[in-house]
Amino acid sequence: MVQINQDGVEMVGKGVGFERIRRITGYLVGTLDRFNDAKRAEVGERVKHTVSREVKL
Amino acid sequence: MIQTIVKRDGRCVLFDLDKIAAAIFKAAQALGGSDYEMARALAEQVAASLEEAGNQSPTVEEIQDAVERTLVDNGHARTAKEFILYRAQRTRVRDMNTRLMKTYEELTYKSADENDIKRENANIDGDTAMGTMLKYGSEGAKQFYHMFVLRPEHSKAHLAGDIHIHDLDFLTLTTTCCQIDIDKLFTGGFCTGHGFLREPNDISSYAALACIAIQSNQNDQHGGQSIPNFDYGMAKGVAKTYRKLYTRNLAKGLELFCGIDDAEGIAKAIRDGISDARGIGPVFADDNGYRDQEAELLHEYTDGETTEKLQQFARREAVKETRRATYQAMEAFVHNLNTMHSRAGAQIPFSSINYGTDTSPEGRLVVECVLRATEAGLGNGETPIFPIHIFKVKEGINFNDGEPNYDLFKLACRVSAKRLFPNFSFIDAPYNLQYYKPGHPETEIAYMGCRTRVIGNHYDPTREIVNGRGNLSFTSVNLPRIAIRAKGDVDWFFEELDRKIDLVIDQLMERFEIQAKKKVRNYPFLMGQGVWIDSDKLGPDDEVREVLKHGTLSMGFIGLAETLKALIGQHHGESEYAQNLGLEIIGHMRRRMDDATRATGFNYTLLATPAEGLSGRFVRMDRKQFGELEGITDHEFYTNSFHIPVYYNISASEKIRLEAPYHALTNAGHISYIELDGDPLKNLDAFEQVVRYMKECGIGYGSINHPVDRDPVCGYTGIIDEVCPRCGRREGEAVSVQKLRELGCWQESAANCGYCGDPFEESERSANPLSF
Repeated sequence: MVQINQDGVEMVGKGVGFERIRRITGYLVGTLDRFNDAKRAEVGERVKHTVSREVKL
Repeated sequence: MIQTIVKRDGRCVLFDLDKIAAAIFKAAQALGGSDYEMARALAEQVAASLEEAGNQSPTVEEIQDAVERTLVDNGHARTAKEFILYRAQRTRVRDMNTRLMKTYEELTYKSADENDIKRENANIDGDTAMGTMLKYGSEGAKQFYHMFVLRPEHSKAHLAGDIHIHDLDFLTLTTTCCQIDIDKLFTGGFCTGHGFLREPNDISSYAALACIAIQSNQNDQHGGQSIPNFDYGMAKGVAKTYRKLYTRNLAKGLELFCGIDDAEGIAKAIRDGISDARGIGPVFADDNGYRDQEAELLHEYTDGETTEKLQQFARREAVKETRRATYQAMEAFVHNLNTMHSRAGAQIPFSSINYGTDTSPEGRLVVECVLRATEAGLGNGETPIFPIHIFKVKEGINFNDGEPNYDLFKLACRVSAKRLFPNFSFIDAPYNLQYYKPGHPETEIAYMGCRTRVIGNHYDPTREIVNGRGNLSFTSVNLPRIAIRAKGDVDWFFEELDRKIDLVIDQLMERFEIQAKKKVRNYPFLMGQGVWIDSDKLGPDDEVREVLKHGTLSMGFIGLAETLKALIGQHHGESEYAQNLGLEIIGHMRRRMDDATRATGFNYTLLATPAEGLSGRFVRMDRKQFGELEGITDHEFYTNSFHIPVYYNISASEKIRLEAPYHALTNAGHISYIELDGDPLKNLDAFEQVVRYMKECGIGYGSINHPVDRDPVCGYTGIIDEVCPRCGRREGEAVSVQKLRELGCWQESAANCGYCGDPFEESERSANPLSF
């Protein structure tokens, strides 16, 4: 919703968060809010896997 | 003289000696006693002993204590024991009732945000009316089964967290999942249970009916629904659409160039005439000589030059319109599966589609369009959550440059790099390839839901196919707990594991007995419409026992990493020794399933459990019992099945190499994930290399995770850390409308969220990458 701030400028997006889509147990979930406590913790602890040259086929 | 007693809830009621006598008599009866007078005499003694103690208004507990004492004092030790058992059972029932009411209270007054039960399944919105209703039913059903249906040893093992009976709330109701053969379902039309649908005649009805089929079946089963042959099934709809559009455009041409009045009638007559005489019609590939036959007949109405012009016009327009119609149908399919509801509106159907191997031009168009529709996203450019896409990788068809569907494989990689789907399944993995028969799509491995796999068939070895089959139920073993209790004794670990496996085999069979007694009419769609294999041979009041035997009974496990850590101090990512022990453990479990299969004739299989609700449940219980053990119970979750822990640093290739051998062992289903850093769209080669390496290592089913974030205000999709790279706002912050206008991502009509669609993304979309 467009709101006018104190400087008289039209602003939009206040209170709107970012969507973060993640995969849990094989399917996607649109936002972390729907995750149960354990899965939230798991997503938080995930580390990235490096792709090195050796994978080249 | 005792006049009143105090009940458990605090109420005062009149004392009734007969009630005590009846309780004693019941205990004696259980042991074969039949002397009510004796029971009455004992009850009088109980009352006397209470009066003697000066208790004029005893509580129920005090009376029961006195009954126990009196029985023992009079030499009725066995009756006393029976009475104590009865008392304990009553206490258990009472406790469970109290607990259930407590659960209901939390479901009622707490939001999903505060209540983990409401978020047990991320696919259900626990805050909606229907979502909460579903939870009331689910929690109540579970309590009922524990009290009255499950064998006590199974109930106890589940409640104690030794095993986990999945989808327990559906114990007496239905089975898990099914691979729906849409080709067969659509032939001749079908009935949803609420109305009959004719055989579809163009691609848009094919796509719409595929959604309805998934939705209808979702109401008959508790697991996911899968279409194993999406491209093959939908291709027929494309063929019908092309045939219709070619004829219509030819008619338009006839009307325009030749001034013929009943052009539509003539075009149809020509088509049907050729079809009757030669058995051919207009086809999308345009490779059957139909147009030559048609040209001869058209000469009756016009000259050779115009005929050629007419045919070229009809061909060109029909191709263009068929492509458009197919894209729109696939777009609608994806949109519908993300918005339609099942289960009293609480849940979007859990849908999966498998494709990638149909090399017909129609099948290829379907795959191209469903991928492009997914790439484009939903109405505001959101990433579609459903269906789960599974791209079937097969050497000789789509894996190498020069193979007919290699372009689709490349497109699949690109879409997955942006939208997380498709996942990739590998027909060439030896344990999948053994079933593969070229020209028989039903022998191509398919996966459903999170990872379920059903293809082998000991019950009927002539039907080792995916179509019409699925899992019946599954139960997981708490592996880490056995390992903790083993205190390093690997031999004891295997002995105890065997005891738990025996229990699970038993429990799965017990559950099958309940499922088998159901009638066809209990599953109006799944069985009533012949979706499940051979159910079309049954009548509405027939038991489903025999046809269910084509399904699988699966034992699952989670936390192999924690198990190894507890047994030898290292998990399988940390040492080759641990990897070998891991393979020994999972190999043993698989052998036990194969043994049970041979012994019973049922399809017992081993599952790498997805563990959504379970991942936290086991570890919470084990931490309470054994304390916080490093690398074992010190996280909020047990690691998914045989995965290397998500927090362990390891290269993609190493993770794939180590997890692949477990895919061969887990014949009920498996999946491996790789977490990629950064935006994989910027490095598609690396993305494809990971998929290729999965295939080389013998992975059966894999997917690649990467962050997909979206700013709903400016529409940016990609990686967002703290600040949106496009409009520069932070989470929750406002941004000026002027700035969005300058960026070209502002639409007046979308003032509530900022923006619809994504002009940047849209301008970057490359033209159709495929040639026909």
